[in-house]
Amino acid sequence: MELGMNLKKPLLKSDATQKLLAFAGLIFLFVGFSLASPNFFKFDNIVSIILATCVNGVLALGVSFVIITSGIDLSIGTVMTFSAVMSGVFITFMKLPIPIGIIGGILAGAACGIVNGVTITKMKIPPFISTLGMMMITKGLSLVISGTKPIYFNDSPFYRQISVGSILGSMIPGFEIPNAVLIFFAAAIIASILLTKTVLGRYTFALGSNEEATRLSGVNVNFWKTTIYTLCGAYCGLAGILMSSRLNSAQPALGQGYELDAIAAVVIGGTSLSGGEGTIIGTIIGAFIMSVLTNGLRILSVPQEWQTVITGVILILAVYADIVRRKK
Amino acid sequence: MRFNKVLTVLLSMLLVVSLLGGCSSSKPAEAPKTEAPKAEAAKTEAPKAEEKKAAGKMYIPVISKGFQHQFWQAVKMGAEKAAKQYDVEITFEGPESEAQVDKQIEMLEAALAKKPAAICLAALDSKAAIPLLEKAKAANIPVVGFDSGVDSEIPVATASTDNAKAAGYAADKMAELIGGKGEVALVVHDQTSATGVGRRDGFANRIKEKYPDIKIVDIQYGGGDHLKSTDVAKTIMQAHPNLKGIFGSNEGSAIGVLNAVNELKKDGKIVVIGYDAGKQQKDAVKSGKINGSITQDPVGIGFKAVEAAVKAAKGEKIEKNIDTGFKWYDKTNMDGEEFKPLLYD
Amino acid sequence: MGVVLVSMEGIEKNFPGVHALNQCKFVLRSGEVHALIGENGAGKSTLMKVLTGVYSKDSGHIFYKGNEVEINTPKAAQELGISIIHQELNLMPHLTIAQNIFIGREPRAKGVNFFLNEKEINQKTKELLNKMHLNLDPTTKVSDLTVAKQQIVEIAKALSFNAEVLIMDEPTAALTESEIDELFNIIRQLRSKGTGIVYISHRMDELKKICDTVTVMRDGCYIDTRDMKDVTIDDIIKMMVGRTIYDSSPEVPDETSREVVLEVKNLNRGKSIRNVNFQLKKGEILGFAGLMGAGRTEVARAIFGADPIDSGEFYIHGKKVNIKSPEDAVRFGIGYLSEDRKRYGLALGMDVETNVVLTSFKKFLGFLGFVNSSNTKATAVNYVETLRIKTPGIEQKVKNLSGGNQQKVVIGKWLTRDCDILIFDEPTRGIDVGAKSEIYKLLNDLAQQGKSIIMISSELPEILRMSHRVMVMCEGRITGELSVSEASQERIMSHATKRGA
Repeated sequence: MELGMNLKKPLLKSDATQKLLAFAGLIFLFVGFSLASPNFFKFDNIVSIILATCVNGVLALGVSFVIITSGIDLSIGTVMTFSAVMSGVFITFMKLPIPIGIIGGILAGAACGIVNGVTITKMKIPPFISTLGMMMITKGLSLVISGTKPIYFNDSPFYRQISVGSILGSMIPGFEIPNAVLIFFAAAIIASILLTKTVLGRYTFALGSNEEATRLSGVNVNFWKTTIYTLCGAYCGLAGILMSSRLNSAQPALGQGYELDAIAAVVIGGTSLSGGEGTIIGTIIGAFIMSVLTNGLRILSVPQEWQTVITGVILILAVYADIVRRKK
Repeated sequence: MRFNKVLTVLLSMLLVVSLLGGCSSSKPAEAPKTEAPKAEAAKTEAPKAEEKKAAGKMYIPVISKGFQHQFWQAVKMGAEKAAKQYDVEITFEGPESEAQVDKQIEMLEAALAKKPAAICLAALDSKAAIPLLEKAKAANIPVVGFDSGVDSEIPVATASTDNAKAAGYAADKMAELIGGKGEVALVVHDQTSATGVGRRDGFANRIKEKYPDIKIVDIQYGGGDHLKSTDVAKTIMQAHPNLKGIFGSNEGSAIGVLNAVNELKKDGKIVVIGYDAGKQQKDAVKSGKINGSITQDPVGIGFKAVEAAVKAAKGEKIEKNIDTGFKWYDKTNMDGEEFKPLLYD
Repeated sequence: MGVVLVSMEGIEKNFPGVHALNQCKFVLRSGEVHALIGENGAGKSTLMKVLTGVYSKDSGHIFYKGNEVEINTPKAAQELGISIIHQELNLMPHLTIAQNIFIGREPRAKGVNFFLNEKEINQKTKELLNKMHLNLDPTTKVSDLTVAKQQIVEIAKALSFNAEVLIMDEPTAALTESEIDELFNIIRQLRSKGTGIVYISHRMDELKKICDTVTVMRDGCYIDTRDMKDVTIDDIIKMMVGRTIYDSSPEVPDETSREVVLEVKNLNRGKSIRNVNFQLKKGEILGFAGLMGAGRTEVARAIFGADPIDSGEFYIHGKKVNIKSPEDAVRFGIGYLSEDRKRYGLALGMDVETNVVLTSFKKFLGFLGFVNSSNTKATAVNYVETLRIKTPGIEQKVKNLSGGNQQKVVIGKWLTRDCDILIFDEPTRGIDVGAKSEIYKLLNDLAQQGKSIIMISSELPEILRMSHRVMVMCEGRITGELSVSEASQERIMSHATKRGA
């Protein structure tokens, strides 16, 4: 009987379709660029693409949760920078061991998330405004704390290995996949488990689908919302670690603008800004579409002005495809 | 009482400035197409400025294109040195990113409202600043350009590095290091500013004119963002496996190229030439990972800009173009005494 | 009769400007179905929201099984064993049936409390649905269900708490007759197990069928509690209203020679409107009956140009017209009084005068485009008088008027615009009984003046009393057309539940 029920579900309406659509888009881009340039489909370049996806991808993972609750977090870019600066403070200024610096950086991001959550749930400030404020606060704090100068990790050479070293490469010669990629995939797997297998994930969807009903069902809405923003902050912290270790420095002036790239990736991946639906695999595909597109267009030496235009067009097309699918 | 009043005014001004800053993105920068009328500004301004000076310490706002970046911090250092030497009061400010033309215009507006003795300005967008500069001219406030300067006749002087000349020299060095032939590429920090355009064209034109065997295969832009520049440079190297050399047009771009070379393990296979300084770039030059870089003299730029402003305000005659010079540094010469003040961290 | 489960005494609740509950009391025993009735705004839902922790009371006492309790959150109520099915659907459309039912108390994986046990959630839901004789797959997304099925999921959810007290607020509003019977079976089952059930409904026939006891409320006050078998429907209505209401049948005008004002042909819009055809005649009140979600509002919105249509033709006075936007509709003399007049029909913060002339400012423009304010004033005063709008003056802000008077302002607004086709969507929703009969009279007057009226209503007595002709819809189709002499509650209901025809 259950089988009969499943068959009755219109195939087009299923969640898998959007993923399929996005994935097809990704494959299309891959094939297209491979045909257009012999230098695109090469091991080194593919690794480069994945590495270039890591920072944006981790940010997108975090903000996926927030967007599924029908919220938004504009502070992710600068919270990332803030976390990087904090880990610089811990490691370079305070000479603390690297693991403590990493944890400290991630906790700094999570702390920003808690503040976001509290301003949204307790002070009832809309997420757009709360996180816009947090964006400015962390941007300013990063500059203040760092004294407007980059903080280098020259005294801790191991720090750089977090991103660009390759554990896999040392085990399998020639298979030089940077650690950042492994961390990104691990973060994605954790995010996916959190979203689909745990109470946190269930309430993430419930909040986005009907917040009032969730509240009336006896769920502590404020607590879970704050938790979700905190999780997002922690992911920003992780992105900050990946970025600063790759640059071997915490650059306090960077960060703004990264939030829009991450949100775009989430949306391309089929997560609706009105909440209630979304998948981690979608977000990852969305992030890859963005980086494959930039990489491919650069390889073809398309002028940067046009790269931006094309990315914008792709974003709109992706969301439009989703709307068309829903209408059916 | 009086003190309170002053405080109130100051506070409200602060509020207004911060508010303007907050909503700056919605405020389009004006960009009139009118060319500035030609004028010999320096002479006419002299008497008025004298009067101002009598009222107290001369006040000169310095508006740069940024303030976080170490380059601007070095410029600030030079400006402060000049302020001390000439006993004038300066303020140093700049927008957070080089895209914030509107914010800089607001800073210029606020500075003008304070009726300064002279203004030093590194315009992000010269055309957008012209209406305000004309206002300054009408009020007999001399304007001194610095760094990329101001593309107009209004400034009485400009203290700057000749970007095209400096980048041309970098091209010569590139040709020498790769043996006069092969493929090279550029990672540039932006495609609109005078420094971006000047360095890009200075480099590219020199190659075209003098080195027919060298081919520029790609010019891409990384916005001066270290991470983006890294990915840009990596892509260029992927797309052009036979690449012999890359030129990074500012600190962020040079570091991006450096990261790309490291990540793709192409040390020694690709010639890297940078621009500006910074700790990471200095270390890389010292270790030979960057073959050499052009440095401007940011301290000198700041110093000379303020110096020229003081002189203009006093009505003294000054040179129209103050070349603050550039230097090539590599691991062989960078420890020399002459580089100490030039290579900021 | 069983023991006292819930006893509420001296409950007070104030909202800004409204004394919602005034010294209310309520007693529920185990094994009884207790009807709680009163007009809209009498305080039934508020009282139940106090009992279930959605609102906190200002003062008063709640006893549960003899002990005084404080119920401050919905969760606290659930933990005591008090469940409520709210009037508005409270489901999460993106989640599955099972996920909805167990939200907030998901079975967890063994050992790791943070992880969900999806298998158990689905299995428990299946058992629950089987117990209710429902053939539904627990993993179906709620958004893929019909409104009626969604309602059933709500009920299943409430039942899943093993609640000793179950409150149902208008549970049958969207159900078909067979579904209602099914629900009643479930209610009887629960009653025999000793569950106390509070049943809020406006359908008097249902009350007689299922309820043992009835408590009546009026204007936030407790009126009386009686055994159902001792009272007649008329007694109950008298208690609800506080007076006998004069009930008149409409004068049915002779329709034979009347011209057709509006004709709709083959109207389609997705699943919500399927091949709808009908004619509206001059001076006619055409009733649209059906269950919630039958597509009546959708038809009205399509005619008004508020939603795009897939196909269909409109003829006004025999001439084919294109209605692509409300602007077009208004130009052709169609006025729409939406269900939710506060959101769509009125500028609440503005005065009566402005609201009346708002859509017809063009008429009042004088020299150089200035608004001729003496004209607008005269118009507003005129409608306040003819529509008998109770207001201190035309300067009064609309939000300070009662529901019935707000509705009249909306009517005045469309009359000012010279509309001769008026679509009323639930014209008496949220209006007290006294004002209702005024609105009815007004509709009759308008029809007599030659205006054509489409009246959408979910209250069958209203449809029967007002309409000259009744169209019945179900699942987007017109499933029946009845003349006033043929129409009865039973016949309308049988057409309204003709599913999948």
